[in-house]
Amino acid sequence: MATRKGLGIGSMYYGIGYGFSRADIGSAEIEMAEDGTTTVYSGACDMGQGVMTVVTQVAAEELGIEPDQIRVVAADTGSTPDAGPTSGSRATFVQGVAVQNAAQELRGQILDMASRMLECPKENLHVRRGEVCETGTDRPLVSVGKVAHQLHFHGRRAAAWGWHDNTTQDVDPETSQGDAYATYGWATQLAEVEVDTETGRIRLTKLVSATDAGKAINPVAVEGQIEGGATMGLGYALYEQHILENGVPRTASLAFYLVPTSMDVPDIECEIVEVPDPRGPFGAKGVAEPATIPTTPAILNAIYDAIGIRITETPITPERVFFAIQEARARGEFEED
Amino acid sequence: MSEDTSPETTGAYHWIGKNVTKPDALEKALGATEYVGDMVVPGMLHAKILWAGAPHGVIRNIDTKDAARVPGVAAVLTASDVPGTNRYGLAVPDQRALADDKVRSAGDALALVAAEDEEAAEEAVAKIKVDLEPLRPILTYEDALDPMAPAIHEGGNVFQHTTVRKGDLEKGIEESDVIVENAYHTHRMDHVPMEPEAGLAYVDPSGVLNILVGTQYPYRDRRQIAPALDLAMNKVRVIQAPIGGGFGRKDDITAEIHVGLLALKTRRPVRLVYTREESLIANTKRHPMAMNFRTGARKDGLLTFLDGDIYGDTGAGVSLGAYVIKKAGIHATGPYDVPNIRVDTYTLYTNNLVSGAMRGFGVMQAAVAHESQMDQLAHRLGMSPLEFRIKNCLKPGLASSTGQLMNEGCGIEATLQRIKDYMSAHDLRFNRPHA
Amino acid sequence: MRQRYALRVNGETRETEAEPHESLLDVLRENLRLTGSKKGCNEAECGSCTVLLNGRPVVSCLVLVPDAVGRDIVTIEALAGDGTPHPVQRQMVEQGGVQCGYCTPGMIMSAYALLQENPHPTDEEIRFAISGNICRCTGYGKIVKAVRAAAEEVGRAAS
Ligand code: FES
Ligand code: FES
Repeated sequence: MATRKGLGIGSMYYGIGYGFSRADIGSAEIEMAEDGTTTVYSGACDMGQGVMTVVTQVAAEELGIEPDQIRVVAADTGSTPDAGPTSGSRATFVQGVAVQNAAQELRGQILDMASRMLECPKENLHVRRGEVCETGTDRPLVSVGKVAHQLHFHGRRAAAWGWHDNTTQDVDPETSQGDAYATYGWATQLAEVEVDTETGRIRLTKLVSATDAGKAINPVAVEGQIEGGATMGLGYALYEQHILENGVPRTASLAFYLVPTSMDVPDIECEIVEVPDPRGPFGAKGVAEPATIPTTPAILNAIYDAIGIRITETPITPERVFFAIQEARARGEFEED
Repeated sequence: MSEDTSPETTGAYHWIGKNVTKPDALEKALGATEYVGDMVVPGMLHAKILWAGAPHGVIRNIDTKDAARVPGVAAVLTASDVPGTNRYGLAVPDQRALADDKVRSAGDALALVAAEDEEAAEEAVAKIKVDLEPLRPILTYEDALDPMAPAIHEGGNVFQHTTVRKGDLEKGIEESDVIVENAYHTHRMDHVPMEPEAGLAYVDPSGVLNILVGTQYPYRDRRQIAPALDLAMNKVRVIQAPIGGGFGRKDDITAEIHVGLLALKTRRPVRLVYTREESLIANTKRHPMAMNFRTGARKDGLLTFLDGDIYGDTGAGVSLGAYVIKKAGIHATGPYDVPNIRVDTYTLYTNNLVSGAMRGFGVMQAAVAHESQMDQLAHRLGMSPLEFRIKNCLKPGLASSTGQLMNEGCGIEATLQRIKDYMSAHDLRFNRPHA
Repeated sequence: MRQRYALRVNGETRETEAEPHESLLDVLRENLRLTGSKKGCNEAECGSCTVLLNGRPVVSCLVLVPDAVGRDIVTIEALAGDGTPHPVQRQMVEQGGVQCGYCTPGMIMSAYALLQENPHPTDEEIRFAISGNICRCTGYGKIVKAVRAAAEEVGRAAS
């Protein structure tokens, strides 16, 4: 078997959110019960990537309570406010700020009531680990549950609504000039491939993904997005193709439409880069799409690095590579071993 | 002056940056999470869809008589049974819940059946007779661009043309020491969420249509379901069920209108669960694109211009295609400072399967072209592909292809630098350009 | 023709009626309401329906009910039958091996079967054991890590 190795990189930027004057909003309600446990009614759908977890962590941070005291109710027109779609790598960036705003307001309500209860100026109080504490000493004075109890029993709100509007103006219709997106995601990947010059088969042997998360609110979840994204990128590059013949699908089965398996994917190395973005919650921004986009170009460039042949059509099937090598040979341009 | 001790400065967060366990992960690992296909409610009917299977044709007649006689069948519905507009679509409502005048893609739904069990529903679907007068299908970019070709929708097959213009293209070309020109083609991809599409609908005693569905946005679903079925919006409730993957595809309407319609008509709960085959045929895919790119650079390694055309096949419905392809256009430079730009994009209707949002949203395709161009330019200049990118990448104070000034949060150089560090730490080197 | 079958599922004998051509997966999900096993393809390509048959992992969408009679069937529901999640389940959660969760039960059954046979698998062996289980979300890395961690945990408990 004649194989050659090559390295390639792919970079990208990606407008986070919707752009084009399309509503790009987030909103959430937070309610604290009399025992201090808290419910976030968040309109953002969790796809398994972890937006519920991000919402929990943001609320816990802002409220000064433990994440296990928080329950998230998600995405139901009957019970949660409209938070826009979970797409465009926007959920953390937009909904994170909405939740932050709601939690800050609720924290204000708690501190107001605590200040009356304790007869102590609000400025000297903060919440930490579920306790209202004296600023400076961190001495716990009263639990948030007791404060919430007082709020409830005085008919006051122990609940707050927060929102965030990330909508950006559409670009100019003639020139596309303008501030298209509130912010951008950034990523670069390094791919190492092995090309079998006899069969045209490509193997991805290494993938390093440097993705700017702004701030990784939950690093394991960010890595999950990076690894899953690159795997989808790998599928796009090498395996998956939905073939239509005269408009009729010919690959409507997973026997023909090939999704990467555990044997096709190398250990993906995640390099989380953090360039804080002041527009996102705690500096964070989305990574789901930025982590997916660079893989295919990195593989294309690695193939060129290995065999000196530029493939310009996807997916990069063994046949395509095989024939490209044959043609290069016929032209006397293939670098033989 | 007081010292800034805020967590933003000190990084002393309690929960931000911590690996808090996902609240829904354990029940998933126990196998206890109920996705729509796992849900059963008393009196529930099972739904099946008759798909067009052919790309283009005039519907002369759909005969449901035999289907309706299959024992256990509660309803067989076609477009004429839809009380509202029968339309949906994320950019424009150009998709039909059930095809009426024409079939526009193999993934169009023609009829719905609800029955006591899936077998009866399947049998009924097989007994529906469709009289379709085939029309010439529009399948290629060339056909779609041909003004003489039959129009799939009123208004012609070029749905949208966008233009990016920056600087002075001629000047950019003149200043160039190297120019690289290529045509790139990307293919159609399916999201393959591991959970095929599914929905469960019921009308509650107060008359509200409840729909449980693995969706990415219940509010937008409601905005589309209500007019399609002629309901007041406050009579529709959409609840996101646990979702077995979406990746952009479940941004669109999937099972919602179909189960909603069947529940309204039968006044019984109705569940629809796609097979994998149906999932691969129906709803949206990733846009195939054809991209012609010409890019230049100077001897000193600075990019001079991009001159490009992008054609996107959105299939028989726009879905989010107009935004996908427009986004591809404004991202066609990649994360680099390119002073002179002409890019045109075309969103084209064809009789292929509908393409819409998918993770990467147009930039996936554009990056295939811009990154291939970058490497070729670097090689022509004898530069390392990494150094060439570092030299040209956007930095605070530089502007993107749309003239947007970069400020905080511009991380491309940091990601390139991270890869550079990785390569030197692991002693990895490109083979090319040859020393 | 519907027939009666007695299936031994998760240590219990369960009587049910089905057509002989029905799959074990459908009978588990519909008749016995054991919906932890998922139907990602119904064509033996995705692994989401994986259960154990006499200790070996099989895709239950490919097994006809009559062929399951007289064998020990173990489904995901049995793994934490006593209320304590199995180490594979716990580690999948802790290591981030669960995203949308749809592949998860099948994935866990394949991993569980591996650890029964081979308590100290290499990463390569783990990857091979789950190669019939498609995951669209995670890229597999964290799943491999979870299985490795579970193997270590089981090994520690045994020693
Ligand atoms: S459902 Fe059995 S392998 Fe996919
Ligand atoms: S977690 Fe979604 S398919 Fe594996």
